[in-house]
Amino acid sequence: MLTGLAVVACVPAAATAVGLGRRRTDGRMRPVADSAAAAPAPALTPDEIGTALGDRATFVQFSTAFCAPCRTTRALLGQVAGELDGVVHAEIDAEHHLDLVRRLGVTRTPTVLVLDAEGTVVKRATGVPRKHEALAAVALAAAGAPEAGARSGASRATGSEAEA
Amino acid sequence: MTKGLDPRGPRFAAAVTSVVLAVVVVTGSGWLLAAQAAVFAVGAFAGPGAAPYGMFYRRVVAPRLAPPAEREDPRPVRFAQFVGLAFAVVGAAAYLLGAPVVGMAAAAGALFAAYLNAAFGLCLGCEMYLRYRRVVPARG
Repeated sequence: MLTGLAVVACVPAAATAVGLGRRRTDGRMRPVADSAAAAPAPALTPDEIGTALGDRATFVQFSTAFCAPCRTTRALLGQVAGELDGVVHAEIDAEHHLDLVRRLGVTRTPTVLVLDAEGTVVKRATGVPRKHEALAAVALAAAGAPEAGARSGASRATGSEAEA
Repeated sequence: MTKGLDPRGPRFAAAVTSVVLAVVVVTGSGWLLAAQAAVFAVGAFAGPGAAPYGMFYRRVVAPRLAPPAEREDPRPVRFAQFVGLAFAVVGAAAYLLGAPVVGMAAAAGALFAAYLNAAFGLCLGCEMYLRYRRVVPARG
C-alpha cells in the first residue's frame, strides 16, 4: 500500500518532468555539427528527397502514417514554402526510407531538416516547428550561399520584419 | 466533413485511465487492472469511440462543450490502446499469479504513458512507432 502510494506520487512527477522537457525542445530548430569539425556535414540529394532543392532553403520533413503533428507540420511548412521564393518543402515517408532515417539519425516524427542550396543540413527540429524559427532557419540556410546572401540580404530583412 | 475524433475525447479517456491505474498501483488489485485491460481491448479492436470512457465523453461531456476546433486521426489512438492493453494484460496476470512487483511495474508504466497523454497530449505509443519500424521494417 505504502509502496503503491509512493509510486503514484513519483510517476506523475516524473512524467511531468518529461512532458515539460519535451515542451521546451519540441519544434526548436537546433544547429547541426560544424562540418569543419569531424565528419562531413550530413546532406541530401534531390534524388533522395524526390524533388529539386530550393534556391534558398529546403525543408525536408520525415513523417509516419500515425502522426497528427506531421499533418500540422506539413501545413505549416507548405505555407512557408508557398509564401517565400526559393523555398521548397519535401516530405519523406520514414517507414519506407529507413536508410535515410538511419543515416540521418531520425528517431521521431515529425523531424524536419533544413537544407541549404547545396543540400547540406544546417538545422533540424523534432516536433512541430515554431514558425518564427522556421523562417529564421530559411534565412540561415540562404545566408550560407555567398551570392544568395548578398543579393537577398535586403529582401530577407524586409521579409522578416513583415512577419514579426 | 473529414472523419475524426474530437481530440478531447482521448485525453478525457486518458485522464480516467490514469485515475484507474493509480488506484491499481495503490491497491494492487489484479482484477481492476484486468477490467482496465478489457477497456483497452474495446478501444483497440472496436475503436476509441466504442470504449466506455470514450462513450461517456461523447454522450455526457461533449454535448456540454463547444464543438472541437479540429479532429484527430483515430489510428494512433487505437495503436496506443494496443500498447496499453499489452501492459495491462501483463500487469493483471502478474498480480493475479502472485508477482505483485511485476504487476506494479506494468501498471506504473501504463500510468506514466496515460498521465503524459492526459496532461500533455503526448502519445508515447505513437512515438515508439518509428523506433519499432527501424528494427522491424514494414514489408513493401
